[in-house]
Amino acid sequence: MRYVKIPRDRVAVLVGAEGSVKNEIESHGVALDIDSQTGDVAIQGDDALAELDAEQVIRAIGRGFSPPHALRLFRENHYFELLDMRDFVGKKSKDVHRIAGRVIGKNGRTRMAIEEATGVNLSVYGTTVGIIGDARGVDAAVQAVEMLLNGADHATVYRFLQREKQRIKLEEFGLR
Amino acid sequence: MGKWAITHIFASHNNTIITVTDMTGAETLAKCTGGMIVKSDKDEGSPYAAMRAAQKIAEELKEKGVDSVNIKVRGVGRGRSKTPGKGAQAAIRALARSGLRIGRIEDVTPLPHDGCREKGGKRGRRV
Repeated sequence: MRYVKIPRDRVAVLVGAEGSVKNEIESHGVALDIDSQTGDVAIQGDDALAELDAEQVIRAIGRGFSPPHALRLFRENHYFELLDMRDFVGKKSKDVHRIAGRVIGKNGRTRMAIEEATGVNLSVYGTTVGIIGDARGVDAAVQAVEMLLNGADHATVYRFLQREKQRIKLEEFGLR
Repeated sequence: MGKWAITHIFASHNNTIITVTDMTGAETLAKCTGGMIVKSDKDEGSPYAAMRAAQKIAEELKEKGVDSVNIKVRGVGRGRSKTPGKGAQAAIRALARSGLRIGRIEDVTPLPHDGCREKGGKRGRRV
């Protein structure tokens, strides 16, 4: 038995149209009990591993990911990383807002650049930045986002991403 | 019916340490780390190293007659990253896959109830 709390405006996404998303998650061997008033979700599964996976997916949906992206977490070697922007700029909402804009970029340009270079999915929601992807991609993406949050130039980050993209490609062909 | 044991997994960014104890937590049954598996320092915390370490642990446990484990995962905690590293997930998965029964999985990352001042000084870490 595990419990997660998600924001109330994400409850509808977690359930999905006529429970489609909920059913999809439950098909992985868990039962969900969702309290739509408070956003409390109780996960009950036959084995602890299924509960763990389901918890990750639900937390990801709670942090702004769309269900298709969050469901990637059921796959092998996929990880979910969460960065809190308040750790970088303090809790003033004005500062958090400014820095969120840096991660997203104009029309989502920076976000797309990170997603494209490292093969991850990125979600900026409230004060957090969520990242879903495989081990190498997540590592690179976290580094890139941290650079932006610490105030690095966008050009620097793009250059970094270019380099990482090359490296990931090389490692894929077994040149470790 | 085999014995139960507790598997402690400490997954930081740089390494994954797996220690298996009996249910009291006082006697160590098996131990393996990411650093015992891979050669280069940078790979110690990788999911692959954690997976291999967990497989090795599972073998040792089978020899000792343990067939079910509770898992306690832990990240670095205190002021720093509150979530366990990538090694934790990989290790848990490998343990389950190698035929051990997993009882419950618990997160035991030490979190301050606002205790000591974080390292880094007033103006934070300056790079």
